[in-house]
Amino acid sequence: MAQKTTYFDPETLAKIQGLSLRAQHIVEGYISGVHRSPFHGYSIEFAEHREYAPGDDLRYVDWKVFGKTDKYYVKQYEEETNLIAYLLLDTSESMAYRGPQASLSKLEYAKCLAASLAYLILQQQDSAGLATFAGQIHSLVRPSGNPSHLKQLLHVLEQATGAGKTATGPIFHDLAERLNKRGMVIVFSDLFDRPESLLAGLKHLRHRRHEVMVFQLLDPAELEFPFRQMTRFKGLEQLDDVLTDPQALREAYLNELQAFLKRVKVGCREQRVDYTLVRTDQPIDMVLTSVLAPRMSQAKL
Amino acid sequence: MNHVFAVLFAFGFGNLAMLGWLAAASAPLLIHLWNRRKYQETEWAAIEFLLAAARRNARRLQLRQWVLLAVRTAIVVLVVTALAEPFFDQLGMRFMPGGRTHKLLVVDGSYSMDYRPTDRSRFEQAKQLAVQIVEASGPSDAFTLVMMGSPAQVIVGTPALETGSFVKEIESLRLTHAAADLSSTLALVRKMVERVTAKHRRLEHHEVYFLTDLGRNTWAPATQDDPAGVELQRQIDQLSAQARLIVFDLGQPEPENLAVVHLKRNEPFTIAGHQATFDVNLRNFGTRPRLRQVVQWAVDDRPVGETLVDLPPGGEASVSFGHRFETPGQHVVSVQLSPDLLEVDNRRWLSVPVKSQLRTLCVGSQPQATKYLDLALNPTGSRQSPVHNQTVPESALSELDLGQFDSVFLANVGQFTKTEARLLVRYLRQGGGLVFFLGDQVIPSRYNALLASERRPGERVLPARLGPIVQEAQYRFDALDYRHPLVRVFRGQEQAGLLTTPVYRYFQLTIPAAWPEAQVALAFADGRPAIVEESLHGGRTVLVATAASLASVDPVTGNPWTTMPAWPSFVPIVQELLALAVGNQIEQSNGLVGQTLSAPVPAAQRGAALNLRSPDGQDHPVTVLTDSDPPRWTFAKTVESGLYQLGLRSSAESASATISYAVNVATVESDLAKVDSQHLPEDLLVETEWRGLNADPVGQISRRAGVHRMLLYGALGLLLLETCLAWRLGRSLA
Repeated sequence: MAQKTTYFDPETLAKIQGLSLRAQHIVEGYISGVHRSPFHGYSIEFAEHREYAPGDDLRYVDWKVFGKTDKYYVKQYEEETNLIAYLLLDTSESMAYRGPQASLSKLEYAKCLAASLAYLILQQQDSAGLATFAGQIHSLVRPSGNPSHLKQLLHVLEQATGAGKTATGPIFHDLAERLNKRGMVIVFSDLFDRPESLLAGLKHLRHRRHEVMVFQLLDPAELEFPFRQMTRFKGLEQLDDVLTDPQALREAYLNELQAFLKRVKVGCREQRVDYTLVRTDQPIDMVLTSVLAPRMSQAKL
Repeated sequence: MNHVFAVLFAFGFGNLAMLGWLAAASAPLLIHLWNRRKYQETEWAAIEFLLAAARRNARRLQLRQWVLLAVRTAIVVLVVTALAEPFFDQLGMRFMPGGRTHKLLVVDGSYSMDYRPTDRSRFEQAKQLAVQIVEASGPSDAFTLVMMGSPAQVIVGTPALETGSFVKEIESLRLTHAAADLSSTLALVRKMVERVTAKHRRLEHHEVYFLTDLGRNTWAPATQDDPAGVELQRQIDQLSAQARLIVFDLGQPEPENLAVVHLKRNEPFTIAGHQATFDVNLRNFGTRPRLRQVVQWAVDDRPVGETLVDLPPGGEASVSFGHRFETPGQHVVSVQLSPDLLEVDNRRWLSVPVKSQLRTLCVGSQPQATKYLDLALNPTGSRQSPVHNQTVPESALSELDLGQFDSVFLANVGQFTKTEARLLVRYLRQGGGLVFFLGDQVIPSRYNALLASERRPGERVLPARLGPIVQEAQYRFDALDYRHPLVRVFRGQEQAGLLTTPVYRYFQLTIPAAWPEAQVALAFADGRPAIVEESLHGGRTVLVATAASLASVDPVTGNPWTTMPAWPSFVPIVQELLALAVGNQIEQSNGLVGQTLSAPVPAAQRGAALNLRSPDGQDHPVTVLTDSDPPRWTFAKTVESGLYQLGLRSSAESASATISYAVNVATVESDLAKVDSQHLPEDLLVETEWRGLNADPVGQISRRAGVHRMLLYGALGLLLLETCLAWRLGRSLA
């Protein structure tokens, strides 16, 4: 178990150079842990039998084979991809922040998470696309189910650097117009933007009948504000600096942050957006499990 | 405006230099500024939330910082101010409009204050301190002055506003050689405070300053739980309700002192040409051994001998010496120790009346009655005997001048006339000694009516009243453990036959409760008194319950009342009776400081003004009580130890002469150990550290009164407040 945990520990990941290796490391570790892909969908053509494992949908148990052999087998079908996943990665300057307790910056963590999901999706012959953005869309990779497509996705992810000011609302509006095929939109961002604008953008995406999943990534320092000495906080994304006694402002800051997070969370829930708050010191498998486990119980992602 | 100045000038500091540290009060501000300059930098993504938090709490943050800064600065200011020993002149009372203070200075005038650890004695230091207190006081304060002695003495009773004359009164104070009486001093001080409160209503506050060495013998009772201590503590409690009580401790730790504690003559009387012996007791009150101390003795100021003694710490030594006085008259024997830091108790005097012969008178109802007495008084019958006895019948009593006799024995005198009774009273007042033997002629009712009246104490002569004759034969006396000096000589001398003296008849003697001074010297085996004595009217009277001769007989059986005159114990008993009867003579010419000197005016001096010269050489007129028979002179102000000399008017035959009276210190003050001030009642504010500071003892008192302590408590309170504020305000920003 300890060995498994190290697979996803951000500290361990930080030591692995290259996003491809990191994604592989995560996915292989994850798959070997759960022994089952969460991305099995509907299929038409029978492919093969597989011995029943607890958790398998009973609808696919082949009762004829059971009658003959007294053993449970489930039928597996040739998949027909009907899922298109759009990975949207925030690459604004605030995403480049890495606190004193974290091993990865928010952006690095988001890249790992996005690459891992892309790896998983493509392994299941689904299609994955990618958009990186800050104040505007920096790059847009059209979705494809070709396994070689992963290389392109990883390349774009690796090229992304934290810079620029976030403008999630307009970006989401723009993307909602551009993404023609209905699919799943997966957002990786700290969402440090005006909540009204952000939620309006998400609403637009939902309006276009996309299923939306949001990973809000925050550094542990941002959530705990552990500073003690007099500190000058240098604002990213062209915001002012603050020179203050952190202890005096800690509770007030945390209250402001919690109010923001609550508003985002409630807004997402209202729009049936799947929302997950991710701490960048959290093992990635925990994040994946918390998101994918409910989907594994469903037939389809 | 005047008030403002009054406040400014009423405030002062004992250690002004410490105020330089007030600059440290800027430390919190500097630290704050330094912290603002010295900070770490970090990039911050969630800056919007931080900006929002800072915006919303900017005022509260600023307020918090100012409050904390103020509290921290105040802590430094309070601590530094406390260390600077602040005081309020007038103890802050100037702040009250019209508030004026009555300051009562009590200067310890006991002789332990004469201890001289430096070039100045404690008493001189006390006077200087008193002057400093006066000079450091406000112009509207008033002062009174009391000298603590035995008894306490009011020097300035009316509150003095004019400090110049008051300071002169302080400077003219002279040390007495008396012991200090704390109880009477407290009573006097309380009375004065009450009087000033009633008569001087503008003097709203009272402060009592005790300038004392805190001698253990004076102050220790106030620390104890016995009845005397409880009473003293009650007095202090009562006084502290009316006034602030401040004690300036002028004592030193472990003082060294030697003293002559006793000088006494061993014989009851001294005859010229006969050897007299004296005993001296010396004591070391210090903690170090004092070896080879020189003790000198002198007679009439002429040294006659000396010796060396070793005195262990806290221990005593005795010296005995003898001297033969060649001439009769009043002589003075003195003993002196080597000088030390307290010299008052290094010398002691004894005024010794020396007789050429002791003259006794025996008065009897018949010659037989006094026959045995005459023999017992002068057993050898020699004219050179120390005792010369004259025997007369009772009818001659009123014709004699009893004053020429040292002692008068009255044996079986049937009754006395009023004139005779008056003569006997007069004789006692002259210091004479009367010895009464009873017998078959005695009419008890006449004795009781004229000589033992309970209603006329001034005419009383007998120490007991006569009851009925007891006829039960007694073959034993009870010596009552030989406690009385009269029979002490018989201790261990059973062959002298005192206890087995047969007595067949005697008068039952009773001592009324109103005569507590009367003592039973010897009792019968059944407990009834056999011999009763009393110091009365300045003389001494002795009453023996039975007869002094074999001539008193039982009329029924014809047996004598007693065979004591023929018993071996009779001569020593009579000799001891004589010693007892004349013993008062030496007491009349010796006394202690504070006691009243009194004696009959010599016949040759009647009508003349008498002067008594005190040891400091000053002449004092003495009070003559002319209504007394014989007239007596008295002198109460025996404030110094030494010789007081009564001047005698010169007559045609002789030049002027003097009679010396020796007055010695009561050595209770020779023990210079101090009481532990920690054990004194809390109402007494004891100031022990005033010596290191030359000026302004009032400021010292105020400091000790707790101004600095209050400031430190304030600083402590602010420290707690600072912690609380830092925590609470930090939370309240949420």
